[in-house]
Amino acid sequence: MIINLLISSFITIFIAELGDKTQLATLTLSGTSKKPLAVFLGSAAALILASLVGVLAGGSISNFIPEIYLKLIASLTFLIIGSRLIFDSLNK
Amino acid sequence: MNKEDENIEKGFVSIFLTSFTTIFIAELGDKTQLATLMLSAESGKPMIVFLGSSFALLCSSIAGVLIGKWISTKISKDKFSLFTGILMTLVSVWIGYTIFNINY
Repeated sequence: MIINLLISSFITIFIAELGDKTQLATLTLSGTSKKPLAVFLGSAAALILASLVGVLAGGSISNFIPEIYLKLIASLTFLIIGSRLIFDSLNK
Repeated sequence: MNKEDENIEKGFVSIFLTSFTTIFIAELGDKTQLATLMLSAESGKPMIVFLGSSFALLCSSIAGVLIGKWISTKISKDKFSLFTGILMTLVSVWIGYTIFNINY
């Protein structure tokens, strides 16, 4: 039973995460820096912490912080990184 | 050229922290994954769910890192930056669009 739950959590999260914006961010960070191990460790720590918070709190972080703020922060972060990348690539 | 060198020389800790912050923020706004996690956690064994999903997240980051590294060897750094920059801006616009859907 435990192994079933383990496998089903693995598959659900793995598929949910494939092609996700988080993976896009990891991909970008890795491709633009020379230290893939640092990128991997940093993003792995962030992902594990995010799911640990979810499991321990018995709900997602959106229970404490309104979803609109979370989305606003995420949207702004992506806008800043994205425009910086475009600016850097055109400004060479 | 100097700027390029500095980027390459950027320290391990600094890249670690940049990655951590970016991914953590991206993940905070991503309710779907945590919602899925919670649905499975209702099975009453949160630790098992945590282990399974952590392992899945590790695998997906490895995949992300490797794909990024692979693409960056195929195309020039500038093209890579431009392409991912446009993609990220589009994602940002999309998230912004969903914010309006929450309100109305």
